[in-house]
Order: sequence, then structure tokens, then C-alpha cells
Amino acid sequence: MVDATNGADFSRVDVAAITKTFKLQDRIFFLMTFASAALVVLMLLAILVVLVIDALPTFQAYGLSFLWGTSWSAPTEKFGAVPAVLGTLISSLIAMLIAVPLSFGIAIFLTELCPGPLRRPIGTAIELLAGVPSIIYGIVGLFVLVPLMQLYILPFLIATVGQVPIIGYLFQPPAPGVGLLTASFVLAIMVLPFITAITRDVFLTVPPMLRESAYGMGMTTWEVARNILIPYTRRGLVGGIMLGLGRALGETMAVTFVVGSVTRLQSSIISPSTTISAQIANTFGEADGLQLSSLIALGLLLFILSFCVLALAKWMIGRSESF
Amino acid sequence: MENTIRQNIMSRRYARNRLMMTLSVIAAGLGMFFLAVILGTLLYRGVSALSLDVFTMTIPAEGSRGGLLNAIYGTVMVTFFAILIAAPIGILAGTFLVEYANGSKLAEVAKFINDILLSAPSIIIGVFVYGAIVVPMRGNSAIAGIAALALIALPVVNRTTQDMLLLVPNALREATAALGAPRWKAMTHVIYRSAWTGILTGILLAVARISGETAPLLFTAGYSKFMNAGFTGPIATLPVAINTLAADPGEDLKQLAWAGALIITVAILAINILARLMGGRRQ
Repeated sequence: MVDATNGADFSRVDVAAITKTFKLQDRIFFLMTFASAALVVLMLLAILVVLVIDALPTFQAYGLSFLWGTSWSAPTEKFGAVPAVLGTLISSLIAMLIAVPLSFGIAIFLTELCPGPLRRPIGTAIELLAGVPSIIYGIVGLFVLVPLMQLYILPFLIATVGQVPIIGYLFQPPAPGVGLLTASFVLAIMVLPFITAITRDVFLTVPPMLRESAYGMGMTTWEVARNILIPYTRRGLVGGIMLGLGRALGETMAVTFVVGSVTRLQSSIISPSTTISAQIANTFGEADGLQLSSLIALGLLLFILSFCVLALAKWMIGRSESF
Repeated sequence: MENTIRQNIMSRRYARNRLMMTLSVIAAGLGMFFLAVILGTLLYRGVSALSLDVFTMTIPAEGSRGGLLNAIYGTVMVTFFAILIAAPIGILAGTFLVEYANGSKLAEVAKFINDILLSAPSIIIGVFVYGAIVVPMRGNSAIAGIAALALIALPVVNRTTQDMLLLVPNALREATAALGAPRWKAMTHVIYRSAWTGILTGILLAVARISGETAPLLFTAGYSKFMNAGFTGPIATLPVAINTLAADPGEDLKQLAWAGALIITVAILAINILARLMGGRRQ
């Protein structure tokens, strides 16, 4: 006992006082951590409150008809959410239709086909692509993809798919290069690395035993992917897709540069259009009064939309064993 | 007879496999191609636009000499103060959720709310800070930009801290408690120390994320052509400057936008790689 304490004389130490200081310090530390955690929760509430208060004039002016109003015109003070909401939904949908199969392909390549030494570099490269700021996607899209779309891809689409009855309505001029489809392409390239990284990670959670047995049964690589990897990880996969969708819905800069910012309800997906975030980014600076309030109401809709998608994603991932 | 059927099935399966695997390789090729196009364009247009002026002069009017000094300063300044606010709060919040309230209903709700903030569209944060700070202050300011970025970094730091603290073995907590150490001493002297590289990685990733943000700064920090070192005036940041300059009809200013794009991308990739190296060393 004496050795262990180096002969220190403990009889003179006021244990009660030290315990009291420790308790007080502990209490302060606890309160600091509690206050910080509470602050995070309060921030979300504050965001909701501010958005709702600032959006209130819009709902007072139009009531819920703001939600299905189809025109957006500052001079006549007619504001409806439909064009921007539709633009957001359609561009995100097309982006997901492109990005999800590509991501699955890349993930299968990375986990099943890629030679060992290349796996890490390619995987890292794709993760780095996810770190590139969205404005970079925006300007590269504007200066590289838009001319391509304008000169080759859109005229080709108009000449071919545009002539088909019914579907043709989606591919009508004007097609100056910027437009919903161009925005969808940029969005797809942007969420691609994000979904790929998640897909690869959930594929890697499949027990090697399961995979090896399937190969041992004589399955081909595709059959292993189709019948083992995807079914085993499907909840994680859907969760990853939803997270990617959440990104696509809220993305601002990459879209604003290439969407064309025309607020009009139209059938053509190749013409200039708008999305919620592009609408806010483009007109927020000059807007005031009812228009400003309507923009904030759009923002509130976007927040609710991305909240729903995220909640769904969490629910899916939470129920899967693979995460 | 049976043999031919079997052979048919086999060859069909192999053909299908070859087709799907070819598509998968093409997908990977496309991914690499996109990366190459983005980095290639940035290098091609950015390097030719780089000069010493870019780092030493402020944003010019079309036709005169200038650089991005004020925007670079703005990005560094706004990012630095945003992290300075977000990091301690995020770490403490993560500490509460894992060390004090782990498993409770309250903590589950708080974690969920943090994840919502984590993936909230960044432009919404901008709109919120506009209503909460810019309108009362009657104008764009560096403070508003700092608040917006801090609000984006906070959930990132909070989340990584949670994940890292969960990795600390319970034996460490029990051992420090058995020595009679008070909780806060156990945290600061033992638990944080063992989770430190992970938490620092999270902070670095948060820096990488917020320094490239544009949307939340458009109507908060705003834009200015001039060097403005204060907190209360509008301040240019690299992403917002790129946004403004790229839309300018002037060819010189577009050049400057590309130079800025190259600078911010290289800086962010470097931070990402640094974070990765730190995270890798831990394992």
C-alpha cells in the first residue's frame, strides 16, 4: 500500500473537498455536452420556424393553391410551386435512372472483377470525385457538356425520339443546350461517386462464405451479383440510392449553371427549365415581398421533400443487417 | 440430346455473363472518364489562367489586371471561423450522445435530427441564415457566412465524433473510472486521446466540405470585389467568386474563374487526401 502510493501521506488530503470539486467539474462538463447536443436539435427547430414564418405571407396570399399553381411571374405577382417542384423531381429522377445502373456496374467491377492492385486506386479516385465541390461540376458542365448537348446530342434526340408519337412531346425544341436533361446528366455524374461508394461498401459486407459457395456451385459472376450480392444487400442498396436521391434533390450550383432557369410549365425535358434550388439561387438576390416569401416557401417544400427521402433512407438502412 | 440442351443453357449463361461484365467494365471506364474530363478541363483551363497576380491582387474590373486575393482570403477566413465554432460544439454534442445518453430515446431522436441536418440541402441553410441574420443585420456579412458554414460543419463533426467514440473500447472507460478519475478527466485525458485522429479526420473532412460550398454563401457572405478583413461587411469567397465571374461576359474574368476553380479543387482534394492518410494510419 505504502509502495503503491510512493509513501504519500493521504491522511492530510481532504477527500471530501476533492470529491466535491470533481463533482462540480463533472456537472459543468455534463452541462456543456448537453447544451451542445440541445443546440443541434434547436438549430433544426430554428430552421423550420424561420422558414415557416418567412413563407407565411405566401400561404396567406394564395393559401394551399400555391402548391398547385403553375405560373411564376414577378410582374403580375402570381407565384405557383409546380414548375420548380416538377423540375426538381424530374431532373432527380432522370439523374437516378442514369446513375444507379452505372454505380452498380462500377461497384460490381470493383468488388468482383477488378485486379487486386487496382482496387484501392480506382476506389479512392471515385471517392475523391465525391469530394469535388458542386460548383466545379457546374462550370465544367456549362463549358464542356452544354456545347456538346447543343450541337450533337439534342438535335439528334429531336430528330429521332422527338418524332415518335407521345414520347416525342418530351423532346421538342427549343433546345439551346441548357435545359432539364443537361441538368440531369450533370446531377447523375455528381451523385455517381456517392452511390458507387455506398454500393461498394454494402457489397463488401456480403460474407465471403456466401459468395465463395455460389461460385463453387458454378455460378457465373453475373449470377453471383444478381442472385447473391443484390438480394443480400438490397435494403442497404435502397438506402444508398435514397441518400443519393436526397443529394440530387437539394443540389444547387451544379444545376443552376446548366438548367437554363426558365420558369414555365412545359412538356419538353430538353428545353430550358428550372428547379427549386436553381430558382432560389437565381432570383433570391433581387426578390422582395411576396416573391421572396414564395421562394422561401419553395425552400420549405424542398426541405420537407429531402426530409421525407432521408427518413425513408434511414428506415431502410436501419432495417438492413448490412449497415 | 440432353447434352446439347445443357450446352445450350451453359453457353447462354456464359454469353449473358460476358455481356453484363462487359457493361460493368464500361461503367467503370465511364466513371474514370468523367473524372478525367473534369480534372483535365480544370487543369487545361486553370493552369493557363494562373499567375502570380491571382494570389496577390484583388478581383478586377474587366480589362484591368487583378487576381483572387480577396476571395482566397475570404474562403480561408470564413472557413476558419466556421470550424472554430462548429468543432467544439460538434465534439461536445457527440460526446453527450455517445457517453451520456447512448441508447436512450432522447439520444436516438437527437442523432436522427443531426442526420437530417447533415443531409439538408445547403441552400436551405443559406435561406435560413438569410432570414435569421442577414435581414436583422440589414445586409450581407462575413458573420452570416460564418454562421451558415458552421451550421453545415456542425452535424459533420457531431456525426464523426459519435462514430469515433463508439470505437473506443469500454475497458478504457472502466479502467479510468476504477482509478477514481472524474468523468470529464476520463474524457479529456483518455477517451478523446484515443479517438483523436478519427475526430481530427472528421474535422478535416468538414473543412473540405464547407470550403467548397457556394449555395449557402450566395445571400449570406455575399460578394465583394474589395479586400474586406472585417466581420460585418460582405466578403467574397472563392466559390461565390467563381460563380459570379464564370457568368460574366468578359473573357478575362472567365479566365479568373477557371483559376479559382483549379485552386479550390486542388486545395479540397489535398485536404481530402490528408484526411484519408490520417484515417488510414489509425488502422
